[in-house]
Amino acid sequence: MSELKSVPKKKITPEMWGEIDKIINRYKDKPGSLIPVLEECQNVSGYLPMEVQERVSRGLNIPGSTIYGVVSFYSFFTMIPKGRHIIKVCLGTACYVRGGKANLDYVKDEFEVEVGSTTTDLRFSLDSVRCLGACGMAPAMVVDKDTYAQVSRANIMEILESYK
Amino acid sequence: MGKINRNQLNQIRFKGKDIIDIRLGKVPIKADGEKHLMICGGTACHASKSEPVRDALKREVETRGLSNRCKVIETGNDAFAILAPAMVVYPEGVYYVHLIPDDVHDIVSQHLIDGKPVERLFYRDISNGKSIPRMMDIPYFSNQRMVTLRNLTLIDPEIIDDAIARDAYQGAAKALIDMAAEEIINQMKISGLRGRGGAGFPTGMKWEFASKSKGDVKYILCNADEGDPGAFMDRSVLEADPHAVLDGMIIAAKAIKAHQGYIYCRAEYPLAIKRLGIAIGQARQYGLLGTNILGSGFDFDLEIYQGAGAFVCGEETALMTSIEGKRGMPRPRPPFPAQEGLWKKPTVLNNVETLANVAQIILNGGEWYASVGTESSKGTKVFALSGKVNNSGLVEVPMGTPLKDIVYNIGGGIPKAKRFKGVQLGGPSGGCIPSELLDTVTDYEAITSTGAIMGSGGMVVMDEDNCMVDIARFFMEFCQEESCGKCTPGREGTKRMLEILTRITKGRGELSDIDTLEELALMVKDSALCGLGQTAPNPVLSTIRYFRHEYEDHILEHRCEAGVCPDLFKAKCINACPLGQEVPGYISLVEEERFEEAIRLIRQTNPMPGTLGRVCSHPCMDVCIRAQTDAPINIPEIKRYAADMARERGVVAEFKKAKKNSEEIAVIGGGPSGLGASYYLSLMGYNVTMFEELPKLGGMLRYGIPAYRLPRDILDEEINDIINTGIAVRTGVRVGRDISMEKLQKDFDAIFIGIGAHRSQIMGIPGEDIDGVYGGAEFLRQVGLGNTPNIGKTVAVIGGGNTAIDVARTCRRMGADVTILYRREQKDMPATAEEIEDGIDEGIELKTFMMPGSINKDNGRLNIILHKCEPGEFDRDGRRTPVPITDALVREEYDTIFAAIGQVSDTSFISNLDLKRGWIEIDRLTLKTNLDNIYAGGDAVTGPALVVDALAAGKRAAIAIDRDLSAKKGRKPYEDQYDKIFITMKVPGDTIKQDMAKAPKISAKERIKDFSEVEHGFDIKTVKGECARCLRCDVKID
Repeated sequence: MSELKSVPKKKITPEMWGEIDKIINRYKDKPGSLIPVLEECQNVSGYLPMEVQERVSRGLNIPGSTIYGVVSFYSFFTMIPKGRHIIKVCLGTACYVRGGKANLDYVKDEFEVEVGSTTTDLRFSLDSVRCLGACGMAPAMVVDKDTYAQVSRANIMEILESYK
Repeated sequence: MGKINRNQLNQIRFKGKDIIDIRLGKVPIKADGEKHLMICGGTACHASKSEPVRDALKREVETRGLSNRCKVIETGNDAFAILAPAMVVYPEGVYYVHLIPDDVHDIVSQHLIDGKPVERLFYRDISNGKSIPRMMDIPYFSNQRMVTLRNLTLIDPEIIDDAIARDAYQGAAKALIDMAAEEIINQMKISGLRGRGGAGFPTGMKWEFASKSKGDVKYILCNADEGDPGAFMDRSVLEADPHAVLDGMIIAAKAIKAHQGYIYCRAEYPLAIKRLGIAIGQARQYGLLGTNILGSGFDFDLEIYQGAGAFVCGEETALMTSIEGKRGMPRPRPPFPAQEGLWKKPTVLNNVETLANVAQIILNGGEWYASVGTESSKGTKVFALSGKVNNSGLVEVPMGTPLKDIVYNIGGGIPKAKRFKGVQLGGPSGGCIPSELLDTVTDYEAITSTGAIMGSGGMVVMDEDNCMVDIARFFMEFCQEESCGKCTPGREGTKRMLEILTRITKGRGELSDIDTLEELALMVKDSALCGLGQTAPNPVLSTIRYFRHEYEDHILEHRCEAGVCPDLFKAKCINACPLGQEVPGYISLVEEERFEEAIRLIRQTNPMPGTLGRVCSHPCMDVCIRAQTDAPINIPEIKRYAADMARERGVVAEFKKAKKNSEEIAVIGGGPSGLGASYYLSLMGYNVTMFEELPKLGGMLRYGIPAYRLPRDILDEEINDIINTGIAVRTGVRVGRDISMEKLQKDFDAIFIGIGAHRSQIMGIPGEDIDGVYGGAEFLRQVGLGNTPNIGKTVAVIGGGNTAIDVARTCRRMGADVTILYRREQKDMPATAEEIEDGIDEGIELKTFMMPGSINKDNGRLNIILHKCEPGEFDRDGRRTPVPITDALVREEYDTIFAAIGQVSDTSFISNLDLKRGWIEIDRLTLKTNLDNIYAGGDAVTGPALVVDALAAGKRAAIAIDRDLSAKKGRKPYEDQYDKIFITMKVPGDTIKQDMAKAPKISAKERIKDFSEVEHGFDIKTVKGECARCLRCDVKID
């Protein structure tokens, strides 16, 4: 499912395991809470490798295959560590119509990273998203929590420079 | 304050009245009065950097000691997205747009302290440059009807008291305390509210089913998983007015007797989730969520459930499955959610926009809501207008509004004077509505009948630079990726359709693919498990229905007219040129001073470079990528330079003829289409005879376009180059008079008709046939023949196209005072903008908004009565229809009046020829008329168009004739045998912003003295500088 050999793994610290266990405990008796649990765990460890999935499986008493099924279904969950900064280029209709794909290709070339993956120095992860709901400001791009409007070759590198 | 009862709710509302009255403008405006600065703060606004403006404003207000009377409040987005960061100052209602932190100083000093609003920050209407200070006076807003969006700019979404002051929870109070469940459902049914998420199911009916289901545990769900690309209505409501949604959910809960609810919000909306969270927290504090709400005895509470990035989870049953912690896969129905939904309990799922309307329906009554809209679609609808449109943002209009009004009146039309192509409604489940159907109104059934769907409200406008095959592929790719995989039609059907669409965009399609796509589409629609699969084929079906010719072009001619599918074109300029000129190639050769090779390369696809370099309207420049940096490349001037250089150096036009064929071809008409057809047929080895009724060849080039634009020696030379390939010419011969059509059909193997459109269109007003009133085209013909008709001293020209301008400028050179009378405004004139400006420089008066009424002769003086007009409704082409102003008549006297409002073709020489609206009808692909072996092209088919279009039509006709004649004889059709010219494939270095180089012109005063050429070409330094600006889009980096 993922080319783990080409991307360095990120260590999960004992503190992180502690947080993860707390999350599992909080939701243990609530039915249907798998997705919120995975979301919060991913916030802690940055990604959901098999070890984390196994921990959740034991804690919530849900088969590992079910958990893997959910992790692989939703695009928010990742088994590859994310970079320090996440770049999301919008390819929704309005952005596509205004040149979003050119922006995506440009970032791919400049940083040598594929969509859905992370740069080898773990600086950036690149994703294309379907629609950020900022269609009035197409083409749009999000880096971490910052949304940028009317992005093009003229300003895209300047924007990314500030994210070390 | 803890839990409140109804009285306390009303008290809070009463206390907030003063605050809201300021924002409603209900208090007198005083320079030192209380001011509320509502700065937009939705996600899109943050993306436009509204937060630094907000912070700067707060700081400045604080520093100047104004915090007591000036409140800075961040709201949701305020609809007109591209104006962000924007702010309304109440009670004035003044609207400031495109704010930057540096503007804050002026706002505070001039407006807040001195009471003088800052004019330079007002909104400016781009169509007329007028600035509009007040928000509600801006047509974008005044043309809307805000019901769902009623709290736009009026409340702080993070302060519940603001919402309560605007009647939040009054509906809930009434429903919980005053009404029985059946009454609530009844009012919802009367209102006619239909699900705003896209399916349009009657909300009252859905609630009724669920209320009748047995069981103590029931659920109310809010679908805030707005996943349609191009839709941002729900996000805006959640970020601006979250309490409206909570209010609606409480009422729904009472109606169906549910006590637990969820708001399923997509994770891509962090601001919406944050504001919802705050709203829920504040509502809980007041006891508006929880047990015994407002002392009614009714319990209801809800939670936010965050999505995890799956479009399919916006589907009803998939959403519920997701809340249950599983993969978001839909379930078969029956059983329907109203009976068995979340955790198998009766569940009602409603969209955000639907719920946001519920409280008002309960407060004002169902009939109030139903008083607006159409028979089957009541109320208002919020659309998210985006794409190739000037004003993008949220638009709320009553149901029954024509789409044309939304695109033009509110949307402000298409930017950069591009041509509208279609509007996509309903996202990946919807369809494209072409310009012929722009009168369709916003009504569920009316839109469905076009093949689109109302959808959740996403409305993306597309123009001539969008490829509809690529759009269909784009949506199918989306559906394929988002397909959950559970059912075969969804999983495999979308995959196969995507494969076919991708092949077509790469030039590997087959004609049978279109039928296969339709077959697959109908199959998938019929058998898919959920709405995603059932509607995924819609964009494909819709684009095939209205844009089938684009599919055919991609498949049969490997052509993407819009210049989008990268495998089907080299560079946009080459693609846009009807002749397919190798533009970057010859630009590179000219820059390297390899002029002979440059002209050879140009001549490979264009036999008249000197002519076109002077008169072409350059579709290439309209798509030049360089324009995105500074300005397009001045391509025609570079071409002209190469042609002039070749002439100077005596370079002879060379050509390569194929082996002689035996067939004889007749070409009727000596204009550009006839010349093009003759030239290529001659190169292909055929025996060509041209028939031209006038003394010389050239058509519109000689008898239409004046000599000051196209010198006669250049025209003569290039025509000779064409004839010298071995074409027989018979001038002064009119087919139908001097030689019969029957004889031609007998003597020739094929006939090409390129007779153009030379007859002036009749205006249809009284007095048109009075002596002194003439057709513009006929006048130009006389001048072309070398005559000088007597036009007197004062001339009026009615019309706005190139013919009108040519007539006007010719008369000016003949010493007359000329006035052009046009019924719309200058920017609507079809003539080339530069021609119009050159004419005005030469002293021609342009009177706009003048419509001819009647022409008369009083006491021997010719005069015209004109109606002054004003711009009315938009027509489907986005131009405003001129409406005569009552009693505003003008009488003007002239010696001569020319009618130049258009031209028609004279097909009287041939009978039985099928015409369509007066133009010769041909098959789009074979170029054949209905008569055997007779082909046609140029203005006689299309109506007046560009010279380059006619030349290209002649060329395509030659190819078609050769294909058919070769097939008859069983020989291979002609193939181009161009010499390969080596072109340096080098990408230019750094791009430095600079203007486009323009060719020098003789001064206006000088040039009206005679008909010598107005424009001189570039010099060597300028042309090389201009060539260096070319970005070489033809060079592909591997």
